Amino acid sequence: MFLTRSEYDRGVNTFSPEGRLFQVEYAIEAIKLGSTAVGIQTSEGVVLAVEKRATSTLLEPSSIEKIMEIDQHLGCAMSGLTADSRTMIDHARVEAQNHWFTYNERIKVESVTQAVCDLALRFGESANSEEALMSRPFGVALLIAGIDENGPQLFHTDPSGTFMRYDAKAIGSGSEGAQGELQEQYHKSLTLKEAEVLSLKVLKQVMEEKLNSTNVQIAIVRSIAADGTGGFHTYTEVECQAVIDQLS
Amino acid sequence: MFAYEQQQQSSCPVKAPVEHRFSPYTDNGGTTLAIAGDDFCVIAGDTRQSEGYSINTRYAPKVYQLSNGAVLATGGMYADGVTLVKMIEQRLEWYRHAHAKEMSCGALAQMLSTILYHKRMFPYYVWNTLGGLDEEGKGAVYSYDPVGNYEKHKWNCSGSAGHLVQPFLDNQIGFSHQREKPTLTMERVVQVTKDAFTSATERDIYTGDYLEMFLVTKEGIQKTLTDLKKD
Repeated sequence: MFLTRSEYDRGVNTFSPEGRLFQVEYAIEAIKLGSTAVGIQTSEGVVLAVEKRATSTLLEPSSIEKIMEIDQHLGCAMSGLTADSRTMIDHARVEAQNHWFTYNERIKVESVTQAVCDLALRFGESANSEEALMSRPFGVALLIAGIDENGPQLFHTDPSGTFMRYDAKAIGSGSEGAQGELQEQYHKSLTLKEAEVLSLKVLKQVMEEKLNSTNVQIAIVRSIAADGTGGFHTYTEVECQAVIDQLS
Repeated sequence: MFAYEQQQQSSCPVKAPVEHRFSPYTDNGGTTLAIAGDDFCVIAGDTRQSEGYSINTRYAPKVYQLSNGAVLATGGMYADGVTLVKMIEQRLEWYRHAHAKEMSCGALAQMLSTILYHKRMFPYYVWNTLGGLDEEGKGAVYSYDPVGNYEKHKWNCSGSAGHLVQPFLDNQIGFSHQREKPTLTMERVVQVTKDAFTSATERDIYTGDYLEMFLVTKEGIQKTLTDLKKD
């Protein structure tokens, strides 16, 4: 693929004669360099877990943030060029708040995912009135987890702007191995607690470093109770350690 | 120069400057009413359209069945009401496309408030009453002022005879100052609505001709037309 580079590599919005957009394909490749992230949907909620790759022992691990809140009922894990995700998450947050403002209800998980994906192809030269935002495609994939009237849901988005719903999904450098493991271990009756452990078990297998409470991050999205508890929650190091302790 | 000479030759000389002013608003009168029951909602309005002391038409409905199953009654300026309903219908369709579901009554209530407030400096001259069933299937009524202040309640009457009918509803629907507070049936609510409009027609010159009523239940929406006095 990379050896057949041609003039169609130049224009970011130009199809090759075989009908491919190389820059978008390369962006999808960029995600495979990112740290691994997994998401698992259960009937009680969704678990997101990511690997935090520390490039130096002097690095402060808590400054790496790869799981973010979009709204109380929506969370997001990422892999790839995480800086690109700022634009997307900013947009998702605005979209979620606008929906609440206008309709006094929480936005659906699919709707917020669609809104994020609407940004994906707005790169290169702009078409007529549509303002182009970026010179290149996003180099990041997202796992959007959330809960709405249709229950807990997990969506995967990629730089082409395609999104798909998954029961369990892994992205990033270890995604192939992790996805295979999820395929084997996932079942519909998984509890949230079991899914937490499974997510770390899967990460542990694909991580180069030894897994500990500082080099992984876990978050969950549960349904929101009448008293406002539940929803998105990122685990503290202590909570994280409690899950690690359950790994055999 | 020419215009000046013309003016000098005028048979009726103009001494003072003449003020030409366009008023963008007019009140077309009419009364709207909505009452929420346990599992139904009645939304009604008369169909007379007036301007000053004249009647433009005896049948200009100002209560609209919306595509999401809610019913909107628009009192005040007819043209603004028509425009507002057109816009709401457009937004309902966009919502269906974007979110693959019908807009709930509560979501529509909030959206209507934001639509109205976005024209805070040149408002739609409309007093809205929104009726329908909420997510649990209970009757819901929301009333608005032209700039989007809104409130949810069980019954409301607004428009030209609103101040006449509201205390009647407080007594007959809310049972204020009464010992017994029986459960309201739809038959009873329909009867109270008809009585309210026949009485309002007697006292208010802007209310009359016909009464159009929408009965909302989970089975669907039924529209009825009743005669009112045409004098």
